[in-house]
Amino acid sequence: MKARTTKPAVTKLQAELSQPVPRDSLTWLLLAQALVVLPFTLHVPVSIMALWLGCTVWRVQVFRMRARLPGTWVKSGLLVGTAGGVYLARGSLVGLDAGAALLVAAFVLKMLEVSTRRDARVLIFLGFFCVVVGYLFEDTLLWALFSLLPIGALLAALIGLQQSALASRPVATLKLAFKLMAQAVPLMLLLFVFFPRLDPLWSLPQPSNKGLTGLSDNMAPGDMAELSRSPALVFRASFEGAVPARNQLYWRGLTLEQFDGRRWSQSSRAQSVQVPQWQKRGEPLTYSIVMEASGRPWLPSLDVGETSLPEVRQMSDFRLQRRRPVEQSLLYGVTSWPQSVRDAQPTEQIQRQDMQLPAKGNEQARQWADDLRRRYARPDALVEAMLGYFTQQPFHYTLKPTPSGNDSIDDFLFVSRRGFCAHYAGAMTFVLRAAGIPARVVAGYQGGEISSDGQYLTVRQFDAHAWVEYWQPGVGWRSVDPTAAVAPQRIEQGLEQALAADEDFLQDAPFSALRYRHVPWINAMRLSWDDLNYGWQRWVLGYQGQQQLQVLSRWFSGFEAPVFVAGIIVSLGLVALWLFKPWRRESDPQLRLFNAFERLLARHGLRRMPGEGAVAFGRRAALFFPRQAGAIEAFVEEFQAQRYAGRSGSSSQLRGRLSALRRQMPWRLSAARGSHS
Amino acid sequence: MIPPLTPFWQRWLEKRIPPASRVTLDHRRIFILPTRTGMTFAAVMVLMLLVAINYQNSLAYGLTFMLMSVGVLTILHTYRNISGLILSAGVARSVFVGEPVQLRLRLESSGPSHHALGLGWEAVNVQPGDVTPRGLTEIELTLPAERRGWLRAPRLRVESVFPLGIFRAWSWLDLEQTALIYPRPLFGTMPLLKGVQPHAEDSGQVTQGTGVDDYHGLRGYQPGDNRGRLHWKAYSRGQGLLVKDFVDLSGHDLCLDFMALGGDIEERLSRLCYWVLELSQRRQPFALSLPGFVSAVGSGDAHRETCLRALALYGDRP
Repeated sequence: MKARTTKPAVTKLQAELSQPVPRDSLTWLLLAQALVVLPFTLHVPVSIMALWLGCTVWRVQVFRMRARLPGTWVKSGLLVGTAGGVYLARGSLVGLDAGAALLVAAFVLKMLEVSTRRDARVLIFLGFFCVVVGYLFEDTLLWALFSLLPIGALLAALIGLQQSALASRPVATLKLAFKLMAQAVPLMLLLFVFFPRLDPLWSLPQPSNKGLTGLSDNMAPGDMAELSRSPALVFRASFEGAVPARNQLYWRGLTLEQFDGRRWSQSSRAQSVQVPQWQKRGEPLTYSIVMEASGRPWLPSLDVGETSLPEVRQMSDFRLQRRRPVEQSLLYGVTSWPQSVRDAQPTEQIQRQDMQLPAKGNEQARQWADDLRRRYARPDALVEAMLGYFTQQPFHYTLKPTPSGNDSIDDFLFVSRRGFCAHYAGAMTFVLRAAGIPARVVAGYQGGEISSDGQYLTVRQFDAHAWVEYWQPGVGWRSVDPTAAVAPQRIEQGLEQALAADEDFLQDAPFSALRYRHVPWINAMRLSWDDLNYGWQRWVLGYQGQQQLQVLSRWFSGFEAPVFVAGIIVSLGLVALWLFKPWRRESDPQLRLFNAFERLLARHGLRRMPGEGAVAFGRRAALFFPRQAGAIEAFVEEFQAQRYAGRSGSSSQLRGRLSALRRQMPWRLSAARGSHS
Repeated sequence: MIPPLTPFWQRWLEKRIPPASRVTLDHRRIFILPTRTGMTFAAVMVLMLLVAINYQNSLAYGLTFMLMSVGVLTILHTYRNISGLILSAGVARSVFVGEPVQLRLRLESSGPSHHALGLGWEAVNVQPGDVTPRGLTEIELTLPAERRGWLRAPRLRVESVFPLGIFRAWSWLDLEQTALIYPRPLFGTMPLLKGVQPHAEDSGQVTQGTGVDDYHGLRGYQPGDNRGRLHWKAYSRGQGLLVKDFVDLSGHDLCLDFMALGGDIEERLSRLCYWVLELSQRRQPFALSLPGFVSAVGSGDAHRETCLRALALYGDRP
């Protein structure tokens, strides 16, 4: 009779997919969902979290036969309600934030719909997708490690859908899931290293980093104080060669050229594309920077920096600016020439923008400027005089300045004399401009912490700093830092050392390990954790484009394709070996030895007939090889005895007889005997 | 499957997996392809890769590659789950046309365990089963008996989508399972051989003729009595469970004759079958006469089997 033809695939599919979800699998699904949703807590509206709790409780009640699954109307109501909630909370239904919220909501709501295996699979695949989207928000080492849990749970849920006794044993299921993941690691690494990193195929909404603190394009003195309370990481830099001295580490962010009497802000002309004039001088510094997401387009660099990163250009004020804001951590290499001459020729920008002052206000400061101009003809001398003033007068470096009135610069310079970098830089620039010297405020970071092994530098938000640069004809721009005159510790050692005893360093972050730098073991742990994170940033998160090309050409120059293919084959082969364990296939040692015996004789031209027993074969072999008849008979006799007469001989005995036979067999194969077999 | 291809496919299968009563699944016999869930999985992978590319996110790349690798390794896992499984056919009991044939299968493991196996005659309605390491599982599959004679079981489908359901490994096996199907018993008058009937003169009224049967009377029900003979009308009248008792014709050797019946061959065989069963149950010796087959007078299970076999195979050239 012939086999029947298979029924249409649809029938099969329906039969398979409409099977109800097993209880164990549902438990896995609930657990996996909790693990997937958890990291989204900070990134989706609270209502979604409430929805998740509600759906979970509902589904558990259904599971306990205390409630029913929702009908179509309830489901559509929930869907519309959720979309409305997301719209209210995010102000839109497009964009990454809203999109992620909707995705999580769909993932959560789908749980209420799970009744068949097909639903469960949809839920699991949605879960994988949610984990990937979660990476757009959180990409730290810890979160990456944590995300192995939801992935494992989702795989376990997928295994739990099988109709097998194994699927009802949670430990075995989870073990299999993690085994699958562990076996996948070599292949994954190969793909990760070799898969070409393409440029984005189309632009997608980026995660919004509105909440991030950092330098902004305008600065009131208070903003800088705000930043100095945050221990958040800004970037890490590793130098080729020695790290320069601390007082050389002025990381330019941007320049603030517009003053309205209170705030310094970026001039509108700073956005226009204008190639700056400069001549490279002196020894260059080469370093690479891994920058955290800042939500802003400018990239910190030492003066005067050049980078090969695409979409980044040097702007007219020598800052590096990217076309798009930095929304994810970014790796870039910079070469800086600290001794370059910048803008030796006057430009219209310098003549107008960098001389700009409000029409009135701060009369006392203007007067002082006039006075200084009369006394010092050379700008350098004037600057020296100002720094001398800061040193001699009782100026005080503090993050808690006294509030100032309308003439904030007058108040600061002549009354309170208390302030921090933003005050000093702002006041100095104002006076310089009033004295007829083009000047501007540079905002950026100063210093940084050198890692325990001296390999790289970590710059945090509290390293934010503002300083001054002024322009002279023929010389160009020159930087000067009034803060260094007032509080040299700030420049030489850092903010913590510069603050007076009554001011707490990082008082808003009592648990930050940075506060406990004086406790050696905490500090050692913090520094190694920093090292680990830097490696993570640099080698995992930063493994894109340029970095990949560099690594590939350094390690496998020209052999990428063969190495990749060989790697795939080897790792698949290893897993296959591990899975099939061919060496264990014939687990019966006697049979294995008998097979070896057969192979030995076959090599010499005698094959066992199908159905021929061991004794009959042995007898035939003894006739065939009369010289080795004794050894053959001994082996067969031992085999028979062990196998059938129940003699408890060790397999080594049998092996001994086999090797005795092997020794007796002629070493060369006799070709003539092949015809007998 | 596309109909014109089916014979080719059958022939190819016949050559690749020749019929055998004991089969070990190995690479020659196992086919493996992604399931529809696997296609969805692949589509999700592509989506995830797009996210990774467009956001240039290394972790997204990492997870996508991890799941891709898991997917690829699942081929090995699914293959391993089914390979090394030893299937052998058990003995099938004979049944009558219209009843389901129970076919026993022995699944043995030659080493590792085999999870979530599905066995069936077609892709739908597979029966689940697990085999423990070096263990043995017996599975019963049913097949409807539609025609009398030898029933050759169709190719058996063994499949598994373990562990993730994204690949399906399967095989079509011919385990040479056969079962003898007897004709469907059909009630009718006892077709006794005319003339040669021993003691025909004594019980002439039980030959053919309408309205005549060997109904004798009613007696009380005893456990073990045939339920078909319960007198339900009497029961409904409240007379208790009574059984229609039939005349004990022991002492008269009966000969059931094919030629004494009218109708087509199948109907005649069905009636004969009924009487073979009936008389055997009454433990009354009888003989059976078919064209080309005459049994000796006898009783007992062996005799009954011989007669039923003759009925089942009537007209069947071996």
